[in-house]
Amino acid sequence: MNLERIPNEEKLSLCRRYYLGGFAFLPFLWLVNVLWFFREAFLKPTYTEQLQIKSYVKKSALGLIVWVAVLTTWITIFQHFRAQWGEVGDYLSFTIPLGTA
Amino acid sequence: MNTSDSEEDSYNERSALVQSESPTIPSYNQDHDMSLPQETDSKRRRPVSSGLDEPGPVERERASTPDGEEEELTLKYGAKHVIMLFIPVTLCMVVVVATIKSVSFYTEKSSQRLIYTPFEEDPNSVGQRLLNSFLNTIVMISVIVVMTIILVVLYKYRCYKFIHGWLILSSLMLLFWFSFMYLGEVFKTYNVAMDYPTLVMIIWNFGVVGMICIHWKGPLRLQQAYLIVISALMALIFIKYLPEWSAWVILGAISIYDLIAVLCPKGPLRMLVETAQERNEPIFPALIYSLPCNLDIARAQEGVESEDDAAQGGRRRYSAEEDLEEDRGVKLGLGDFIFYSVLVGKAAATGGDWNTTLACFVAILIGLCLTLLLLAIFKKALPALPISITFGLVFYFSTDNLVRPFMDSLAAHQYYI
Repeated sequence: MNLERIPNEEKLSLCRRYYLGGFAFLPFLWLVNVLWFFREAFLKPTYTEQLQIKSYVKKSALGLIVWVAVLTTWITIFQHFRAQWGEVGDYLSFTIPLGTA
Repeated sequence: MNTSDSEEDSYNERSALVQSESPTIPSYNQDHDMSLPQETDSKRRRPVSSGLDEPGPVERERASTPDGEEEELTLKYGAKHVIMLFIPVTLCMVVVVATIKSVSFYTEKSSQRLIYTPFEEDPNSVGQRLLNSFLNTIVMISVIVVMTIILVVLYKYRCYKFIHGWLILSSLMLLFWFSFMYLGEVFKTYNVAMDYPTLVMIIWNFGVVGMICIHWKGPLRLQQAYLIVISALMALIFIKYLPEWSAWVILGAISIYDLIAVLCPKGPLRMLVETAQERNEPIFPALIYSLPCNLDIARAQEGVESEDDAAQGGRRRYSAEEDLEEDRGVKLGLGDFIFYSVLVGKAAATGGDWNTTLACFVAILIGLCLTLLLLAIFKKALPALPISITFGLVFYFSTDNLVRPFMDSLAAHQYYI
C-alpha cells in the first residue's frame, strides 16, 4: 500500500496501530513503523497530524533500541556461557553445534 | 509430514496470472490467472509487444491522443512490467536454489511422503516407478481439482468468511511452521547454537509482521518480500516431499491443468476470474503478487474509470488517478512462483550441475516473457504455467542428458569451444 494515497487521519491511525502492536513483543513491527513513517514524520512539510506521527515514530524507535539492547545482551551471554551452563544450556538450546564441548 | 489441505489449495489457487478485474475498467490487474490487458491499438502498430497495454476501453477513450505518444507510452509501460516481473521470480528462484545448494536437508530423501503422493517409487523397476509416479500425479491433480472447485463454489455463494479463514490458516502455517523448520535446518547446517527464547522471538516477529503485511496493511515492498519468501518456503517443501519422478510428472500435469482451468469456459479458475470481475471485487489477498506501476506513465492515462484495487486485500474503490498506480500493474499468482521455483530447485537438486540450473532458469524467464506477450495480445486471464514449465522441462531434460555429457567430455579432453 502506498502512503501517498491515503488521507492523513488514516496515516496517523496506521502509525498508532503499528506502535501499539509493537508492545506484543514485536520489535520488528516497531522497526517497520520507523522505516515506513520516517519520511512522513520528518521529511515532509508539516501537516496537522504530523506531530503525533513524529511522536509515535520516536517512541517506536526508542522501544526498538531497548529491545535490540536486551536481545544483544541475552544472545551474547547465551553464546558465551552456553557450554558452561551444562544441563540448563542444553535445555535452552534449539540447536547444539556439533564438535564443540 | 503431512501438509494441510489449506496450503495445497491455496497454492493451487495461486497459480496463474491475474487479469483485469472488470471488463469495463482498464486495468492490468489480473486475477488468479495471468493476463495482461492489451491495447488493440498498439497491437495494430506493434508487431511485437513487449508488455502490457491498457485494456480496450482505455484505448478507446484515448483514441484522440497522438498515436506515437500513446504507442511509446504503452511500449515503455509494457517492457517495464516484464522486467518488474522478472525480479521477484528471479529472487524466489535464487532463494530456493541457494537453500538447496547449501542446506542438505531439502535434498535428503525422507521416508515420509505427503498424503497426496501415496505411491512409493521403487527404484528397482523402471516400469513400476513410472506407473507409481503417474498414479501419484493423478492423486495430486485430483486433489487440486477438487480444492479449486470447492473454492469456486464457496466464492460463488459468497462464503467469504470461510475463504478468508482458510487463507489465514494456510498463511499462518507457512509463516510459522515452515519458517521454523527452515530456520532450524539452516542453523544445523551452519553449526550455530541457537536458544529457544531468541528463536521464539524471531519466529514470532517474522510470522506476525508477515500476517499483518499480507492480510492487512503494510509497506508494499515488505509485502512483496513476504510473498516471495512464502513462495520459496512452499517450493522447498514440495522439493523435499515429492518423490523424484512424481515431481516432474506433476509439474507437467499441473501446467496442463492450469491451461484447461483458465482457458476452458467451464474451467474453475476462469469462473473465479469472471465472477470476481462481475462483482468488481479484488481477488483474495495473499494469493497474488502485484506490481506497482509508474505513476507518471499512469497519469498520462487519466480519464479512466475508477478501478478496484485488486492488490492485497484492499477492497476500497479509488478514484481513477489514485488507482492508476496500483491497479495498472500485472498480477501474477503465487502458485506460479512456487512451481517455477520447484522446477529450478529440482534441477539444482538432482541435476548436480550449474549448467542445468541456469538453463532451466533461462527457460522459465523466456516462457514468462512469452506469456506476458500473449497476455498483451489477448487481454484476458492467461495461465502462466504452461509455456514456462514446458520450456523448463525441455531444457532440463535436454541439458541433463545431452549438454552435460557433451560438456564433460569436452572438458575431459581439454577441448575448448
